Amino acid sequence: MELRMAVSKSYGPFRLDADFSVQGERIGIFGESGSGKSTLIGMLAGLVEPDDGTICLEGETLFSRGEGVAIPTERRRIAMVFQQPSLFPHLSVRNNLLYGYNRCASQHRRVEFDPLVQVLKLEGLLDRGVNNLSGGEQQRVAIGRAVMASPRLLVMDEPLSALDDDLKFQIIPYLTRVCGQFGIPFIFISHSLLEMRLMTDTVLMFDKGRLVEQGSADELARRRMGLGQVGYINLLRLGRPVGSNGLHTFAWGGGKLLLSAAPKSEAGLYELSSRDIILFKQHPEAISARNLLKGLVVATFESGSKTGVELACGSDRLIAEVVHEAAAELDIRPGGELYAAIKASAFRPLG
Amino acid sequence: MFLTDSDIQAIWLTIRLAMVVTFVLLIVGTPIAWWLAHSKSRLKGPFGAVIALPLVLPPSVLGFYLLLAMGPNGPVGHLTRALGIGALPFTFWGLVLASVFYSLPFMVQPLQNAFEAIGDRPLEVATTLGASRLDAFFTVALPLARPGFLTASIMTFAHTVGEFGVVLMIGGNVPGVTRVASVQIYDHVEALEYAQAHRMAAIMLIFSFLVLLALNVLRPDAFKMARRD
Repeated sequence: MELRMAVSKSYGPFRLDADFSVQGERIGIFGESGSGKSTLIGMLAGLVEPDDGTICLEGETLFSRGEGVAIPTERRRIAMVFQQPSLFPHLSVRNNLLYGYNRCASQHRRVEFDPLVQVLKLEGLLDRGVNNLSGGEQQRVAIGRAVMASPRLLVMDEPLSALDDDLKFQIIPYLTRVCGQFGIPFIFISHSLLEMRLMTDTVLMFDKGRLVEQGSADELARRRMGLGQVGYINLLRLGRPVGSNGLHTFAWGGGKLLLSAAPKSEAGLYELSSRDIILFKQHPEAISARNLLKGLVVATFESGSKTGVELACGSDRLIAEVVHEAAAELDIRPGGELYAAIKASAFRPLG
Repeated sequence: MFLTDSDIQAIWLTIRLAMVVTFVLLIVGTPIAWWLAHSKSRLKGPFGAVIALPLVLPPSVLGFYLLLAMGPNGPVGHLTRALGIGALPFTFWGLVLASVFYSLPFMVQPLQNAFEAIGDRPLEVATTLGASRLDAFFTVALPLARPGFLTASIMTFAHTVGEFGVVLMIGGNVPGVTRVASVQIYDHVEALEYAQAHRMAAIMLIFSFLVLLALNVLRPDAFKMARRD
């Protein structure tokens, strides 16, 4: 998918000025609320008319003030999923799912009903009304309805914001699976960097109506490590724990990790902040932290007042942060070896 | 006999008039309500005020202007004569036209409220799924606004049944053509036929009560449906 937008739009004192081109199947648009994200994708979908500029998707001009082109929304084939599911309350789950499918020309149809229903696990809900579904179920139907329209681009505007944390991380695998399986490129809008990292490859970051950064979600997370309160979030995919004596033991990084967090029955994601890792130049003889990992420094980077240290532990990677002074004192540089101490309680399961 | 033949004739005429007016206003009022609910035009305010005028205008004033417009020298009168229909005053269709104006806000305002309550989002979703504006209107907006249509139709029907001033100005008192129930009651009173007037008045009273009862029973439910999304 290739998208080029050079558009401007003013609402009173707010002005959105975007000029970018992006390629990829999993694009993120990141920014605080009020940064113009929703206006931008509103213009892309044809719901908001730009004051000026051009929008090209896959070489086709969707909008051009100069050439007088403005393809109407229904002919752009850009489906949307919003923060609120906005299902049609007068239709059953089945007929919600089929709304876009029935309006899609047969030569464009790429998604069929049964496989989609299977991927989204909606089999038991098809003949129910949409009003007595749970929040997570409603959002799954909304995703299914958009995908069933076989769009050439799926735009998701904060689709997880209205859901609580548990549900959020349950929906994300559905989203990535459904788009991957049916080959639908998407643009994912969020103010959560974590969601960006789980969902996207390339991220456009907006602030006050302007594009300020473009890169991978991980690069963005590294650059912002020292700026916020949470540090860099390491995402660890852990399998089933082996053995338990109050602590749960997981295989990771060629060794083992001990976690006090309640484990999930299946493999799952755990987060660990770069701030919760203490680095040692030499092996500390006796410490209370339950995890001590030996790692090779593969890279260092600066972010605000912090130095980020990327450690290779076996085939896995970990990012820790220290203040510049500590980095100098420990003489941290690529190629060196360090010990990382992590408390068993520092890990948090996602979803 | 409980009701005279002319009473029954007046009641049937009234029902026929109210049904035709409700039907015409469903067709005419829906696009007006839609425009008022969605337009950002500066004309929206003045236009909305014109639609609402019958709510505050004395029916005789409205009737007077309509009579002039439909009369042989009025613009509507010229048009109807050119079309070979003849003059509208003192005919059933003249009464229909006048009632359409008189009851317009009772159709438009509940529909406008219903359309506004639905908001833009369900229609935006429908268009991103490939539905044209017209398609989205019929398959999404219309079903979601059903409670509004019910309210608007009941209000319009009841209001048309109850009109008097406009009828007198436009239709006069032609039995079987323009003599509706309210005029019939007036005639009975004028002729000092109080027993007959009582019977007709009681029917109107019970009818009005039932309409309000129906609205009260249906509306809370109805509005919940419109807001469900």
